[in-house]
Amino acid sequence: MREIGTLLKAKILSYKNSSQGEDTKYLLRFVVFFIVGVIFWCGIFLIFFKVLTYFSRIEVIGTLLASRLLSMVFLTIFSLLIFSNVITALSTYFLSDDLQLLNSLPLVPESLYASRFVETIAHSSWTAILFSLPVFFAYGLVYNASLAYYLTLVAVVIPFLFISAALGIILILVLVHTFPARRLKDIILLASIVLVGMVFLFIRFLKPERLVDPESFYLVMDYITELKVPTSQLIPSQWATNALSPFLFDYPEGSLFSILLLWSTGLALAVIGEWVFKKIYCDAWSKAQEARSAKLTRSRLLNRALEAVVRSLPSQVQVVVLKDIRMFLRDTNQWPQLFLICALVIIYIYNFSVLPLEKSPMPTFYLQNLISFINLGLAAFVISAIAVRFTFPSISLEGKSFWILKSSPLELRKLLWSKFWVNFFFLLIPAEILIITTDLLMNATQFMIWLSAITMGCMTFGITSMGIGLGTYFPRFKVENVSQIATGFGGMVYMITAISFIGVVVILEARPVYLFFMSKFKGLPLTRVEVAEIAVLLSVALALNLFAFLLPMKLGVKKLTRLEV
Amino acid sequence: MIQLMDLRKRFGNLVAVDSITLTVEPGEVFGFLGPNGAGKTTTIKMMAGLIQPTSGRIVIHGWDLAEHSHEAKRVVGFIPDRPFLYEKLTALEFMKFIAGLYNLSSNGVEARMNYLFELFGIDEWKDELIESYSHGMKQRLVMAAAFIHHPKVIIVDEPMVGLDPQGAKLVKEVFREFCSEGNTVFMSTHTLEIAEEVCDRIAIIQEGRIIAVGNMRELKEKAGSEDKRLESIFFKLTGGEDVRKVVEALKR
Repeated sequence: MREIGTLLKAKILSYKNSSQGEDTKYLLRFVVFFIVGVIFWCGIFLIFFKVLTYFSRIEVIGTLLASRLLSMVFLTIFSLLIFSNVITALSTYFLSDDLQLLNSLPLVPESLYASRFVETIAHSSWTAILFSLPVFFAYGLVYNASLAYYLTLVAVVIPFLFISAALGIILILVLVHTFPARRLKDIILLASIVLVGMVFLFIRFLKPERLVDPESFYLVMDYITELKVPTSQLIPSQWATNALSPFLFDYPEGSLFSILLLWSTGLALAVIGEWVFKKIYCDAWSKAQEARSAKLTRSRLLNRALEAVVRSLPSQVQVVVLKDIRMFLRDTNQWPQLFLICALVIIYIYNFSVLPLEKSPMPTFYLQNLISFINLGLAAFVISAIAVRFTFPSISLEGKSFWILKSSPLELRKLLWSKFWVNFFFLLIPAEILIITTDLLMNATQFMIWLSAITMGCMTFGITSMGIGLGTYFPRFKVENVSQIATGFGGMVYMITAISFIGVVVILEARPVYLFFMSKFKGLPLTRVEVAEIAVLLSVALALNLFAFLLPMKLGVKKLTRLEV
Repeated sequence: MIQLMDLRKRFGNLVAVDSITLTVEPGEVFGFLGPNGAGKTTTIKMMAGLIQPTSGRIVIHGWDLAEHSHEAKRVVGFIPDRPFLYEKLTALEFMKFIAGLYNLSSNGVEARMNYLFELFGIDEWKDELIESYSHGMKQRLVMAAAFIHHPKVIIVDEPMVGLDPQGAKLVKEVFREFCSEGNTVFMSTHTLEIAEEVCDRIAIIQEGRIIAVGNMRELKEKAGSEDKRLESIFFKLTGGEDVRKVVEALKR
């Protein structure tokens, strides 16, 4: 127990010390994080509060819907926690720098397992817990829950975290033990495919379209029966729902059994995890230390194709672009993120294909164009979400090797612009595919498709420039995990800036589009004032795009020149 | 030729390098010695263009680093103490990358690369990912890369760290050969035997200031040491005599 305390204390002190010496910056970051966190937290609370209040007013099925929603919430949290724990456990048990030292010390294996278990839970679960709290508070308030509900919630969440952490840890121990270290790439690839599969299964589990379309059921009773059927009695998320439901919906008692089920499973899995750890960790750790990649599988054709593509560029830009592409293709750390985003984009496009626009009371022509306008903002948001993962870290990914570029005669301005153009085309292609496909699926007008495509093209300049520029302004050369670059303070500043930019551009274009459609709808030509209004608003939008394109890059170049390594 | 003129670097309240003035002539292997935290790496980083001096000037081969950084960097080969490289590239790809950064035309580059791979003993592993290299092999690769563009000046921080005796011997020979052609090596090191063996002149830095500079004879005079060895001179000048007393005390 003392050893566990000592190991954890070292970690806690590291975090504490890392924030010292930069008090003003730390405080500023904390304040910004706190404000954004509070806004996000309140947003979640309000949405759930409104939805649950609405449900609570519906006779019979309202409670069933609220109960099903709670089960969905738990299932979502459970899926997120499992994936997050797998990724975190790989880092805490195998990739952390301090493991070299710890594994050379005469530590009791149980101490290392337990301390890393706590660290894994802390790292992987705090955001999921923090941002699920408003959901549970909303349930408590809407359904006038007593103190017992909140106490049960604590009793439910703790074993829930234990189960997901233990499962993640056991999975990663077995994976690293089974595959040689040089096949870590395959492990991550496998994990990514599992993740994508999970996302799809998750969607299928929920069948959200059936719940909002009662007409698809022949009888009301069928609908109610569908709502009453639990997701699956074998999933811990359902046990958690069962444990809390009696305190919210006047369900028959059954809470204690579910709580005991959660605790016994959580503790059993933690013990099984320890047993697996003792059996295979030493072996797995040793394998993970072996020299990776005896042979590199490189396609000559791919290499030649890459070289041919960049041949026309100046020599310095050419080698930087080639290096970036090669590193991206070989660095599997980024793959899970790519797979996840691909899955989300596919779901996004699929949702547009099943939109029941014809059932709406509004004229289809008006609705299609309205939604395609909303789609413009959402698609740009998706692109900025991709950019924060791949464009924003461009300079930070140079990592500790940045000295090579800085000490070379390469002009840093050229470096930044070469990164800009690679990222611009990397973002522009999915951006245009996304916007044009969704517009076509909705049968939007030609005008709307062209306007969306052009606006998206213009905004991609700004989104890329902000990604490269702000990524340079907030570089993080010493991160252990690539995903930490996007989730840090700079990443958040980028997302806020990008969303504000997209929002303002969409708002600036909304009025001209409205005027244009109204004139078409009424069959009247635009008045002079309206034409002038359209011209001014579109000019401002264009100027804003130019500003978003040029300013961040200028700031980035300035910062890069001054950057000391 | 390297000229450091009244060079200073502050990090907040800490003065890491305090008014250093030095001239290193062509054909010289110049050793830069000092205890931990004396300011060696900071000086070298300023010379490599990685950090900006607070004040003062650095002139390399006639180019002022502040005003003509590209021209100055073009004649410098820099070897850091820790070889952080692009782990996901092979050695060959890395060398091509460096050649590209220096705008070297393809004529003769392949031959030059192969020569350097062979010279530094990494020929067999040039198609392997750098992440599979040992520390010593990475150090050899960085050295090979530093010579790809026929530099006039080599700036090197702790060249022998991670190298096996064979590698260390090779590096000493390469540096001597390089300087015999009229080029310059500026080298910081903790290994006093190597400094004594390879360097034409040595500067000793302590708490950011140069406390002695010259060849072995001049340093001995300055220290007033009877002992001919650099170790004794170094301890005398840097106050390291205390270390000896501690060692003696531990032996008891």
